[in-house]
Amino acid sequence: MSAGAAARVDVRAYACPMTYVKAKIALDRLAAGERLEVWLVAGEPLENLPRSAAEDGHRVVSVEPLAGEPGAFRVLVEKGAGAAAPELP
Amino acid sequence: MSLSGKTALVIGAGGLGGPALLTLAAGGVGTLVVVEDDVVETSNLNRQPLFKEADVGQRKAAAAAARLRALFPSVAVDARDLRFDAGNALALVGAADVVVDGSDNFATKFLANDAALRAHRPLVHGGILRTTAQLLTVAPAGIGGCLRCLFEAPPPLGAVPSCAEAGVLGATAGFAGALMGAEALRLLAGERGAYEGRLFTYEARSARGRLVLVRRRPGCAACAGTQPLEASAPVACAAPARSEGAA
Amino acid sequence: MNDDRIERYARQLLVPGFGEEAQARLGRARVRVVGADAVASAGLVFLVQAGVGRLWIEDAEDVSPADASGWLFAPTSVGTPRVDAARAVLAPLSRFVSVERYSTGGVPSATLVFASSVPQALASAESARRAGIPHVVVEPDADGGALVVVPPGAPCYACARSTTGVGRPAQPGIAALSALAAQELVLMIANPGSVPGRRIDLVRGVATARATSRLAGCACGGAASLDEPAGPAPT
Repeated sequence: MSAGAAARVDVRAYACPMTYVKAKIALDRLAAGERLEVWLVAGEPLENLPRSAAEDGHRVVSVEPLAGEPGAFRVLVEKGAGAAAPELP
Repeated sequence: MSLSGKTALVIGAGGLGGPALLTLAAGGVGTLVVVEDDVVETSNLNRQPLFKEADVGQRKAAAAAARLRALFPSVAVDARDLRFDAGNALALVGAADVVVDGSDNFATKFLANDAALRAHRPLVHGGILRTTAQLLTVAPAGIGGCLRCLFEAPPPLGAVPSCAEAGVLGATAGFAGALMGAEALRLLAGERGAYEGRLFTYEARSARGRLVLVRRRPGCAACAGTQPLEASAPVACAAPARSEGAA
Repeated sequence: MNDDRIERYARQLLVPGFGEEAQARLGRARVRVVGADAVASAGLVFLVQAGVGRLWIEDAEDVSPADASGWLFAPTSVGTPRVDAARAVLAPLSRFVSVERYSTGGVPSATLVFASSVPQALASAESARRAGIPHVVVEPDADGGALVVVPPGAPCYACARSTTGVGRPAQPGIAALSALAAQELVLMIANPGSVPGRRIDLVRGVATARATSRLAGCACGGAASLDEPAGPAPT
């Protein structure tokens, strides 16, 4: 796993919307500031996931090709502080 | 007033179209024309009331028709398993007394708007995004503006969340779709629509409802019935377009 | 949550404020629905689709011809018990939801009231209030009406209900109010504390909400009598 990643989720086998849903669930389990490493494929997942994560208040730390897996990418997402609580005010 | 001689065109049989169809059928509309070219998927089942588990994998148009016919045998259901596009829009709209747009992408929403105005048919537009619903009725030669008066053109790709990213609660979509059906029933009965010239938005968590006036934009080609009908590109999005002034 | 459930609820898991925990709360919920007529039909469908674990339907009547204007009852079901007809249509919608006839021994964790009379509505609401569980009472009026939304501790139904008498006969557009009622209950179950006590009026397609307030001296203000149980029911 990437340095500093508290968890990893591999969504290469899934199609949207499952790709972001699985990542979101994994992020929900982390504390604010912890990082999640997501393995995904190019195309819709690669285009959607960073944007969705940013919209949900998380920070996309890096997007890199996944070594040894053509067409696959590794996205490192840091859980946002504001996104932690499920209850709304 | 009996609506048994009336025809409603409903674009989409999913989260918005499904509840609209059920409401229209319950209202005794004589003929429902359903335009839907998708297949029932598992993730549809959190919100699309026409479909049950055993329908997964079936064509939506056929499954929708079967459910509607079973519940409302006196309603004629004409299921069209095809995409609403520039090639068939005018014919479909022209054959109906009211158009209910439950489509899930902007290109189709604008096409429906343009075609309805060109054919002088009232259109009920609805959109849903996460916990917010929005509705607008576009009446030919009526008060108020159309979808293009509200927004000049479909937002570019990437400007709004894609379908895949935008979550939605089933009951919120159901609320919006049922309101669309109820509005269509009003229009068919010859009453003025509740959303004519007024965009109604409702956010579920705050229970905040707002009405925003939609004025006709001078020179709007769509309102004049002269907007060229563009081919609808399958932009995956269920989000209502952002509008200035809406909550 | 296994992949089956994730796939089923994917679209609502994406809603901010919804996630694994919220979906799990829905799965643990035992929702009592009082009344299963045409007005209730849309709400029942959306409760099942949202993934409430157990749906307990309470209705002693048979399906009437008027019920055929709802979302559940085909004309062939007229004359059969409403609960059985509703179960037959609701169960195939989701294998994750158990739809049963309500038995008076069951302790619900939330209640949705589509009562057919004011006394029944008041009694059902009071029972939910005493149990400390979230509940919604639906007051149909033609194609709209009102909802009184009561999270635990909020002003009760008796404080917030309409006093202008029974509404006009329900019309098909009432499905919107029914769906909204299901949504309010789902929000209270999934995100406890996120919904304040409120009354939502739906008139000619436009919904407006306002906070509910307690009538002076109402028992819901905490002036508990000796026979009231203390504390909310466990969720």
